[in-house]
Amino acid sequence: MKKFLKTAIATIFLASMALTGCGGGTTPASTTAKSTTTDTTKVTSTGYSQAPSLDGKGLPPVKDRLPVQPKLVNEEPSDLLNYTIGTYGGTLRTVTSTPNWDADVFVMDNEPLLNTPGILGSQITGNILQGYKVSPDQKTFTFTMRKGLKWSDGQPVTVQDVKFAFDDVLFNKELTPVFPAWLRSGGKVDGQPLKFDVINDYTFQISFSEPYGGFPILLSIKGWVGYTDLLKPFHFLKQYHKKYADPVVLAQEIKKAGFKKGDWVKLFQTKDVLNWDLPNPKAIGFPVLYPWMLVKKTATTEYFDRNPYYFKVDSAGNQLPYIDNIQSSMVQSMDMEVMSVLAGNVDFQRQDAALNKMPLYKENESHGYKAIMSKLHVTPTDIFLNETYKDPVWRKVVQDVRFRQALSLAMNRKDIINDIYYGFADPGIIENPAFNLDEANKLLDDMGMKKGPDGYRVGPDGKKFVIPFEVAAIAPDVVPLTELVMAQWRSLGLDVTMKTIDPTLWGTRNAANQLRATVGWVHTQLWYMGDWGQGYWGPLWNEWYTTGGKQGEKPPADVEKLYNLINQVSVSSPDEAQKAIEQVHQELGKNLWFFVPIENVKQPVIVNAKLGNVTDKGYAIGLNFSAEELYYKK
Amino acid sequence: MLNYIGHRVLQLIPLLIAITIITFITIKLPPGDFLTTYIQQLKLSGNAVSQSQILSLQHLYGLDQPAYMQYLDWMKNILTKGDLGYSFGWNEPVSQVIGERLGLTMLISILTLIFVWVVSIPIGIYSATHQYSILDYIITFIGFIGLAVPGFLLALVLVYVVFVHTGVAITGLFSGHYQDAVWSMGKFLNMMSRIWLPVIIIGMSGTAGLIRVMRGMLLDELQKQYVITARAKGVKERKLLFKYPVRMAINPLISTIGWTLPAIISGEAIVSIVLNLPTTGPILLKALMTQDMYLAGSFVLILSVLTVIGTLLSDILLAWVDPRIRFGGVQE
Repeated sequence: MKKFLKTAIATIFLASMALTGCGGGTTPASTTAKSTTTDTTKVTSTGYSQAPSLDGKGLPPVKDRLPVQPKLVNEEPSDLLNYTIGTYGGTLRTVTSTPNWDADVFVMDNEPLLNTPGILGSQITGNILQGYKVSPDQKTFTFTMRKGLKWSDGQPVTVQDVKFAFDDVLFNKELTPVFPAWLRSGGKVDGQPLKFDVINDYTFQISFSEPYGGFPILLSIKGWVGYTDLLKPFHFLKQYHKKYADPVVLAQEIKKAGFKKGDWVKLFQTKDVLNWDLPNPKAIGFPVLYPWMLVKKTATTEYFDRNPYYFKVDSAGNQLPYIDNIQSSMVQSMDMEVMSVLAGNVDFQRQDAALNKMPLYKENESHGYKAIMSKLHVTPTDIFLNETYKDPVWRKVVQDVRFRQALSLAMNRKDIINDIYYGFADPGIIENPAFNLDEANKLLDDMGMKKGPDGYRVGPDGKKFVIPFEVAAIAPDVVPLTELVMAQWRSLGLDVTMKTIDPTLWGTRNAANQLRATVGWVHTQLWYMGDWGQGYWGPLWNEWYTTGGKQGEKPPADVEKLYNLINQVSVSSPDEAQKAIEQVHQELGKNLWFFVPIENVKQPVIVNAKLGNVTDKGYAIGLNFSAEELYYKK
Repeated sequence: MLNYIGHRVLQLIPLLIAITIITFITIKLPPGDFLTTYIQQLKLSGNAVSQSQILSLQHLYGLDQPAYMQYLDWMKNILTKGDLGYSFGWNEPVSQVIGERLGLTMLISILTLIFVWVVSIPIGIYSATHQYSILDYIITFIGFIGLAVPGFLLALVLVYVVFVHTGVAITGLFSGHYQDAVWSMGKFLNMMSRIWLPVIIIGMSGTAGLIRVMRGMLLDELQKQYVITARAKGVKERKLLFKYPVRMAINPLISTIGWTLPAIISGEAIVSIVLNLPTTGPILLKALMTQDMYLAGSFVLILSVLTVIGTLLSDILLAWVDPRIRFGGVQE
C-alpha cells in the first residue's frame, strides 16, 4: 500500500511537472496539482529503475536514493528535441587543452537551483529546488526544496545546507569580504544585502528591499550559475568551519594543509568546491548534486563516474544520467584537440569545435562521429572602440556618434557573412545593417576629418588618425574578420592596423584600459546575461559602475541611461525584462557603442554517431547543458 | 683535487641564490598575475566571477602579499621543508606536477641520447676516415638537412602523413586503453611501438650536429704527428684509430654534460606539444604563459641547479683527464 501511494504521488508529480513545463513564466513547478487527470507521462507503475552498472554495489534501492519527487528531465524544450527514452551505459570521451578545466564537461555537469529549458530564458522551472513563489510586490521569494534529495555521499540535502551557505559563508566577513552585488537589492553594489529566513525544514525565504523580479533567472542560468553559491554540504564543510569545528582538529587540519596557524579561511576555501572547480582534482570526494562526479585524475585524463543519488528521471522513471562515465583527456594544444576529433577519439565537443574546421570534420566523419550545426549562443566577433582610452584626440573622435555611424555604414555585412562564415550567419539586428560608403564618407567629412596629402584622414589634432586593432585569437574567426573589417574601413581613408597578441596579454591590457580597438564576443543573444560588452567599449565607465563610483570614471548621461536599462532587465520579471531589452537594443542601435555586425552564427558540435537525444535545433550550449539526456543507441 | 672541488662547490652557493632571485623577478615581470589569467579563462567560457570571489582567491593563493614576501616564503619552504610550493593551475604541489611526468620525460631523453650517440659516433668516424668519399658527401648532405629542419616541423609532417595513410592520430605515447593502465608487458610494448617516433624526431638535429663534431674533431686528430708515428711503427689501422684519435675526439661529449643533465629533465617542449607527449616541457611553457609562478619558478630552479651541477661534473671530469686545468684551479 505504502509503495503504491509513493508511486502514485510520483506519477501525479511528474504529470504536473510536465504540464507546468508547457506553461509559462514564473509558475512554481509544483503547485498545479489539479492537472493530474491528464495523462502526459508514462511512468510505469513499477516505479523507478537504475543503471545496471549500479547493481550489486550495496547501495540503497533507487527509490530511496531519489527525492520523493524527483525532477522530470526538461533540459531541452519539446520543440527543440523529440525526446526518446534512452538506454544505460557507456563512456563519453571529451578533450581539453587546459589543465583542470574542460568547458564541455563543466557545462554538462553544472546544476543550477532552478533552470530554464534550452537556456532560452523564456520559462523557469524547478531544478535542484522544487519550485518557488514570488510575492506580488516581487520582493519576497519563497523556495521549496525537494524532500529526500541527497548529496552524492548519500547524506540528505536540507534547509540547513542553505542556511549554512548564507549565514556562515556569505554573511561571514572573513570568508566573503565583499558581499556580491547580485545578492543585494536591485542587483547593485550599493544595494542592501538580501534577507534570508528559514520557514521550515524544506522551505526558505529570500527577501529584498526593492522589487527583484529577475532573481529567479539569476539562479537559473546567468553566468552559468550553479547551486554552489547558495547551497553547500554542511555535513562535510562544517569540519573546516571555525564556528563548528573542534579547534584542536581544525588546527591539525590547517597544519596538515600547510597553511599558517589560525588561517582557517584558506583551509575552508581549499575544501569548498565551487561549480567551476568541478573538473579540479580538489573536487574528488566532495559531496555534489551533479550527474557525474570527478573520481580520479591522472597526468592526462580525468575520470567522472555517475552520481548514484542524482535527482533527475526520465518519463519512464529511469534515473539519469544514461551514460555511466565521462573521460576528459588533456592534450597539449588546440590542434591536438582537432586531431583527436578527426581520429574519432572524442564523443562530444562544443567549446573548441570551430566553424572553419567544418570541412575537415565532415571529411573524417567515417571515423565514428557526426559534426552537427547548431546555433552559437554569442555573437562571436563584435567590434569595440574603447571610448574611455586615455588620449583626448582619440576620445574626441570615437565618442562622436557620427564617427561610429560612419564605421557601421562602411561595413559590408554580406561580405563578412560570405567570406568568414561561409553564409552561416545573419546580419546583426541591433544596428542598422545598411552599407553605404558615400554616406559614411559624408559623415566623416562633416566631422572635419579631412584627408591629408597621403590620402589618410586626419584627427582634430591635424595628425593622421589611426585605429589600431589589438586582437587575440580567442576564436578562429577573430583574426580573419578583423582583417576584412580593416580593409572595409580603410576604404573610408582611415588608417586601420591590426596586431595579434596573446590572449592573456589581451585580457590584461583590456583590464588596464590599454586597448583602443579590439574584437571579442558578447552574449548579445542571451538577454538575461546582461552582457553588452561594457568592459570593452568603456572599461573606465564600467569600472565606475561595478565599484559603485569608487574607481573609474563617471559615464556620460546616455551611457548611464543604458546601464540603468541593463540593470532594469536583471531585476524585472521575464515579461517586463523583454520590454526593457527592446529598449536596450534601441539605445545600442542608436548610439552604436559597439558593433554587432553578424548574429545567429552556426556552431559545430561533434557528437558520437551513436549518441541519442541529440538535436541541432536551438543553441549548441543548450545541448551541452542537457548531457544527462544523452545515451548510446544500441 | 678535493681542494679544487670544494672551491667550486662554494662558488655555487651565491650563484644559485642569484638564479632564484632572477627567476622570481622574471616571472613577476609581466603585468597581472595567475588570477588575471584564471579569471580571463572563466570569463571567456561565460562564467561570472564576483569581486568577492576574486578577493578570496587572492588570499588563498597569497597574491595579496607583497612580492618579496612571496619570494621569501617560497625560499623558506624550499630550504626548510624541501617544499617547492603549489601550482595554481594544476592545484597540486609542484613536486607532484613535475614528478608525475618526470619518468616519461627521462625515458624519452635518455633513449634520445643513446640514439644520438649510437648513430652519430660511428657515422662521424666513418665520415672522417673516408673524407670526400661519395658516402661522406651523402652523409654531410643529410646531416645539414637534419640540422636545418626544425624538429616540430618534422613532427607535424609525420603526424599528418601517418593520419592520412592510416587514420591513426599520434596522440601521445599510448593508445587509448593503455593511457592510464598499470604497467604491464602490453603497455610496455604499446609504448615501444610509439616511442621511436619522438626519439628520432627529437634526436634528429642532435645526431646531425654530433656527426659534424665527430668528423671535425677526428679529422684534426688524424693529422697529428702521433698518428703518423704510430702508423709508421706499423700499428694496425683499426687499433690505431680506436685507441688514440677516437678517444680524443669523444672529449666534447664530456664537456657538454653540463647541458645534457638539464636537457634530460626538461623535455623538448615544442615537439612534445606537437606530438602530444605528456612530458615536462609543455608544463613549463604553460606555467610561464599563465604565470603559474611557483611551478614555473621551481622548474627553472631545478633546471638551473642541474646545469650548475652538470657543469661542475664536467669540469671535474675534465680536470681529472687534463692536469693543466687541475693545476690552474688550485692556483686560483
